[in-house]
Amino acid sequence: MSSSIEPNDRLLRVPGHDLEVRWRSSRHARRLLTLGFAAVFIALLARRPEFAGVAAPALLLLAGGGSGRVQRRPARISVRVRPSATRAFEGELVALDVRAEGQGDSHVRWTLHPGAEIDPGDVTAADGAQARFTFTPERWGRRPIGTMDVVLRDRWRLAEGHLTVTLPKLDCYPAPADQRTKVLLRRLPNRLGEHPARTSGEGIEFFGVREYVPGDRQRSINWPASTRRGRLQVNTFAAERSQDVVLLADATSDVGEPGSSALDLALRGAAAAARAYLEGRDRVGVITYQWGGVSWLGPGLGRRQLYRIIDSMLRSDSGYARGASFRRLPRAALPPGALVVVFSPLLDQRFVEALRDMRERGFHMLVVDVLNAEPPVRRRREDQMARRIWQMEQEAIRFSLRELGVPVVHWDGVQSLDLPLAAHTRRPLAARR
Amino acid sequence: MTGTGAIRGAAIRGAAILLGAGCVVWATVPPVHRGYADFALFLAILGVTAGALRLTLAAVPVPEDNYLLPAPLRVWIWFLETLRQVPWEEGALIAVLWLEVLHRAWPWHTAVLGAALIAYLLATHLAESGASPDALRPQVRVLAVGAGLLSLGAGAGMLPAVGPGAGSALLRLVAAGALIAAAGLVLPYVTAPGPPPGGGR
Repeated sequence: MSSSIEPNDRLLRVPGHDLEVRWRSSRHARRLLTLGFAAVFIALLARRPEFAGVAAPALLLLAGGGSGRVQRRPARISVRVRPSATRAFEGELVALDVRAEGQGDSHVRWTLHPGAEIDPGDVTAADGAQARFTFTPERWGRRPIGTMDVVLRDRWRLAEGHLTVTLPKLDCYPAPADQRTKVLLRRLPNRLGEHPARTSGEGIEFFGVREYVPGDRQRSINWPASTRRGRLQVNTFAAERSQDVVLLADATSDVGEPGSSALDLALRGAAAAARAYLEGRDRVGVITYQWGGVSWLGPGLGRRQLYRIIDSMLRSDSGYARGASFRRLPRAALPPGALVVVFSPLLDQRFVEALRDMRERGFHMLVVDVLNAEPPVRRRREDQMARRIWQMEQEAIRFSLRELGVPVVHWDGVQSLDLPLAAHTRRPLAARR
Repeated sequence: MTGTGAIRGAAIRGAAILLGAGCVVWATVPPVHRGYADFALFLAILGVTAGALRLTLAAVPVPEDNYLLPAPLRVWIWFLETLRQVPWEEGALIAVLWLEVLHRAWPWHTAVLGAALIAYLLATHLAESGASPDALRPQVRVLAVGAGLLSLGAGAGMLPAVGPGAGSALLRLVAAGALIAAAGLVLPYVTAPGPPPGGGR
């Protein structure tokens, strides 16, 4: 049960909170008091001295604890709390170090009361002036870790001092799904990157053979081809380009079981796509649609951009953002020629209209359908009819998007994103004009 | 909770439950049917059982927000809160002592019960606070003195001629003196200043 830790010098650098201790008699003391007085009372009433003997140990314990007890009770103690991280992904193990100072010779017991969606693991209570707890955030969001109850007990365990420490909040990021392959556009912008383009350039992937012209490097001469044709031939290589990728996360509707709802899957899928494309040196941005408007982050490069994207998506959960229309987006948010990867349950008609609008403006799009819930099955005929109509509407929405040249793939959130995207990662994405 | 800690906690809980049950059985046998003995037995069984349940269910969390919960869950929360707030052990103690006093004077029997009751209280405290038995180390001397006084009390009870007369009056005086002394010792503890208003954060 105890989870004492080695002295942690870093914990000493954390400012401590001076907290007031509320002292009161313990249940143990009250029980001893009951036994002592009841036995003495019976001894007097029944004239049986052996009951006075029964009272003796209890009264002695109370008397021993009572002598000089008040002086040993600190009115305030200092508590230092330090989580090992202020940001973590879903399911990531986070440690929490706690330390009390100024408690004198009182025994300290820590009890962790985890907040919502925080899994405390096996150890929720520990003894000692210093302790370490571990916990795991289970769902994305800005989560309060919980509260820590601190109980001080004197040496005789007759008095208890109570105080409660509110633990800091933790930014929990959605755990990115598994995605290794990437969807590539047929036409890549003229910018250096890592994706082989359909034009010759200075890459490493073989593109073709052409006749030698002065200025070509000697090492690129293709000797077998030169021998066959009788003239010098040189190898050409595919140019390597990067692309702009804009992720569209639909936060307008959240259906399904908490933890695997449409919004959970949309955020995890978007995080996975952001990581995969950023690792491929693409510029990645994000647009989040929610009730009240749109929030966006322009495309950027680098690992830091991944955290900016996730932060942007998490902020969208907390309320209104800049912009009030689903239709108008600044050019910086949606650069021309960008690949748009959409994560949505396609339940909001305004969002679907926004997708159609983008497609009509010539953007190459791919929709990952994250809807994994359906209306409940009921016995009434009208309910069954409504359910059937709803299903047909959903099929119609997906059909209309496909007709516009927008591929729609379904992802259940369990398997790797590579599987539903496989048909589009094998060859460049060429949308119909 | 680590494996060793869990086993230790379960062992202490088991000891507390067994000691409680043992005290009830010890004070009941042989059964008597006078002086509200049946009611006292009911109270003792109820107190020990509820105390055991409280120790067993101590780790079960109660949701902070019980708004719009289903009825079975509300009943369960109410049960847990009742279990944790009522002083079951105190009731069981009084009932067990009452059962014991209904029997004929048998001082060694009462002394064994007294020792078992103290052990029951200590085990219950260890179980509810999650402390190891080492936490009782500072109290060993006092407990030894208490055991000596318990033996003396039993010995005094075994002395003959405790009938009407000078011996009986002397015994009452001694008992009254013990009561006054005990009250004097405990009074500072009872009248200690209460918790400051506001408390911790």
